[in-house]
Amino acid sequence: MIVQMIWQSAAVVLGGLLLGLVYKGLDRKLAARMQGRIGPPLRQPFLDVRKLMVKENVVPRDAVPWLFHAAPILALVAAATVLLYLPLGGLAPVLTGRGDLILVLYLLAVPAVAMALGGFAAGTPFSAVGAQREIVMMMSYEFPLAVVVVGIVWRTATLGHSPAFSLAVVSGTPLWSLVGPLGVLGLALLLLCLLVVTPAELSKIPFDIPEAETEIAGGLLVEYSGVNLALFYLADALKTVAMGALVVALFIPYGLAGVFGLEGLVAGIVDVAFFLVKVFAVVFASVTVVRVAMARLKVDQVARGFWIPITTAALAGLVLLILDKAVVG
Amino acid sequence: MEETRTTFEIPVGPVHPALKENIRFTFRVEGERILGVDVKPGFVHRGIEYMGMRRNLIQVLYLSERICGICSISHPIVLVQAVEQAAGIEVPPRAQYIRVIVSELERLHSHLLWAGVAAHELGFDTLLHLSWKVREAVMDILEELTGNRVDYAIPIYGGVRRDISPEQMPKVSEMIRYYRGLFEELSDTFLRDPSVEARTRNVGVLEPEEAHELLAVGPTARASGLRKDVRQDWPYLVYGDMDVRALTPEDHGLEVRGDVFDKIVVRLLEVAQSLDLIERCMEEMPDGEITSFPKLPALLAHLKKAEGEGIGRHEAPRGEVIHYVRLEAGQEGPSVWKVKAPTYSNLMPWVPMFEDQEIADIPIIAASIDPCMCCMDRVHVVRSGRPEEWTKQELLRRSWEKTRRLCG
Amino acid sequence: MILKVLMAQLFSRPVTNRFPAKYMPRSVTGFLAKVGQGKAKLVPPVPVPKGFRGKLAYDRETCIGCQLCIRVCPASVIMFKPETKKIRIHVARCTFCGQCVDVCPVDALAMTEEFLLAAYDRFDPSLIVE
Repeated sequence: MIVQMIWQSAAVVLGGLLLGLVYKGLDRKLAARMQGRIGPPLRQPFLDVRKLMVKENVVPRDAVPWLFHAAPILALVAAATVLLYLPLGGLAPVLTGRGDLILVLYLLAVPAVAMALGGFAAGTPFSAVGAQREIVMMMSYEFPLAVVVVGIVWRTATLGHSPAFSLAVVSGTPLWSLVGPLGVLGLALLLLCLLVVTPAELSKIPFDIPEAETEIAGGLLVEYSGVNLALFYLADALKTVAMGALVVALFIPYGLAGVFGLEGLVAGIVDVAFFLVKVFAVVFASVTVVRVAMARLKVDQVARGFWIPITTAALAGLVLLILDKAVVG
Repeated sequence: MEETRTTFEIPVGPVHPALKENIRFTFRVEGERILGVDVKPGFVHRGIEYMGMRRNLIQVLYLSERICGICSISHPIVLVQAVEQAAGIEVPPRAQYIRVIVSELERLHSHLLWAGVAAHELGFDTLLHLSWKVREAVMDILEELTGNRVDYAIPIYGGVRRDISPEQMPKVSEMIRYYRGLFEELSDTFLRDPSVEARTRNVGVLEPEEAHELLAVGPTARASGLRKDVRQDWPYLVYGDMDVRALTPEDHGLEVRGDVFDKIVVRLLEVAQSLDLIERCMEEMPDGEITSFPKLPALLAHLKKAEGEGIGRHEAPRGEVIHYVRLEAGQEGPSVWKVKAPTYSNLMPWVPMFEDQEIADIPIIAASIDPCMCCMDRVHVVRSGRPEEWTKQELLRRSWEKTRRLCG
Repeated sequence: MILKVLMAQLFSRPVTNRFPAKYMPRSVTGFLAKVGQGKAKLVPPVPVPKGFRGKLAYDRETCIGCQLCIRVCPASVIMFKPETKKIRIHVARCTFCGQCVDVCPVDALAMTEEFLLAAYDRFDPSLIVE
């Protein structure tokens, strides 16, 4: 049992890494095409990782070495663990029943915390500024994210499904068709909020302020090089897949196999493929298009934006779901 | 947080992704807020004036072209004006028109280049690629008219080196049409984009009084509402016939605020203005000679005999350029050559612009004056391997001394 | 609206000229050798206009050795060979101003359309015209 679980986990993590790098390649290629450029070849992220892996780790003189080295490992492990809790297409999460959505929320926050820790541990002005910005960013987007998750979970629970916070249950119960018109509006608001939170969670333009290449030269990553940087890069790739999978699990958990009446292995393959397409669509819409269509915002603008409009929208979605419960039951 | 209550210093430069050239800022910050800034130029001093005083005037012309890679017509145009004044050389009208056309083409490409750089500083790379894509049209025209994409080698003492042929005229008109058609799209993407506006409105404000007191020039001054333009105030070449007006954001129906957004507005307006000027020059350009010295040896001989001093000034894309030249008979090169690039005047306005802004605003504020460090760096004091700092009084004393020495 | 531009560009051919190939070849010399054998295709550079200022061409026979070009050259590109009264041009230093072409009394100098002048050595035979 345990052995099987280890094998499955390893397969999921490796698959996630592969997928994450492919998505990164697609992201770069499509962003380049939207800007009228040719862009790097699809395999560029793989080449980048291979190159970084053979490069030296440089540790700044004023750094706290153990923390500086621990941060990227922590980020990668946390990002990998998230994947084990998320349903991947037709496949149930590897660690079903051993943790719930609340844990996923916490695990999603860990890579950001690790990056901030690494930034502080590097002990240089740019990385310290980057780390401060990362903390402010987290304080801004975590609340709307939590509201979205709570809204979905609560509405699922009121429909009589339990255990309440289990991802398998939530993704097994597509809410769109089970709620009334008010509920659909509420869900749409929550989906919108989650799509706005996604690039912030992944530190992409317009929310890439902790790294902000032209301002603070890479911010909390500025002192990282070699293997450590590669680990952060991989953690980012995994997080991209995880955020996409989370959006899919919460809002678009539909499969194709049921529609076409497929069974067995074919059904599994079709559902996994459809899942990959859905994740790609989410990443493309909320990361790639957004990052080429906007300028980088400032940290106070981001904080204000998340605390007021986005949180209000998320709370409005929640209220609509509550009203829907009162009407539909 | 504990960290934000203490002030600390952030070094930006001499090498930093936000800076396209080397300069050092030391910002005192509290959290994200900038309390003060110390600017240290001098990293890209090349001793061009010294080199120029050891070459003959034709060689100096191409040296002046290399003071700045982007204003590579502005510096030679100013130098030839100064030398023509000193040596008493007349310039045929057609040559004057060609000079104006090429310098307005340069303004076009420089402003488009700036727009791209500014967008990149904001993290908006799509606009960078977009503006540099459309910039290719003017680069192609420059290549068509002069044979080079940069460093056009067009002016020469007493005229210009290449004529604009009748076959080239339609190509230029074609380019003007292309940009006119694009203007709406460009102003739409820059001025009506909410994220650009969020990053540039009320950022890096330069009050009109500050701009006036600190002697800001070019678009930096005009964005603060000062109607200041060499082409309008001291017309030269054929600019006097063109009724050039200094443009401020008011001409776009906006209230002047002096922020980075206004600087974008001014530069976009100047793109349109340059298009009009080029078109008008092409229509009004008379036929005739393009140089008063068709034979270069005659020119060299004339310059060697010449004695006197001259000042040239020109409105480069970044502001006013001034060259001072003194010629002595029997000497092939200038005995004194002094260059004042626009960035030199726009350096001090940085200080009020940075005050009370955020760290995130550093790149765009630094870029907003369109700085050119290597044009500006005319002095760098190094004694026994270490850079030295001179106070204002010391510098004043030394410049008085030098002026006295020059005046004999 | 920027989104319209983005979508239009997403589905149109990139603006970048793919010279010499779409992606940087692993070895440029190897790639060029393959092009020579006809195994690979070279995307040509953007064409240059008439009157382009490229690598200098020198007509040795017409040259009268007056040394005017040496006097005006801003970069000391041109060297005089007293024994033959001819010149040698070090293109590696050339700034492509074309002043020598203008000054030459017998039109022995001209500017060609050649601009791909990279070499590992500044005294490479391809960079010396005489």
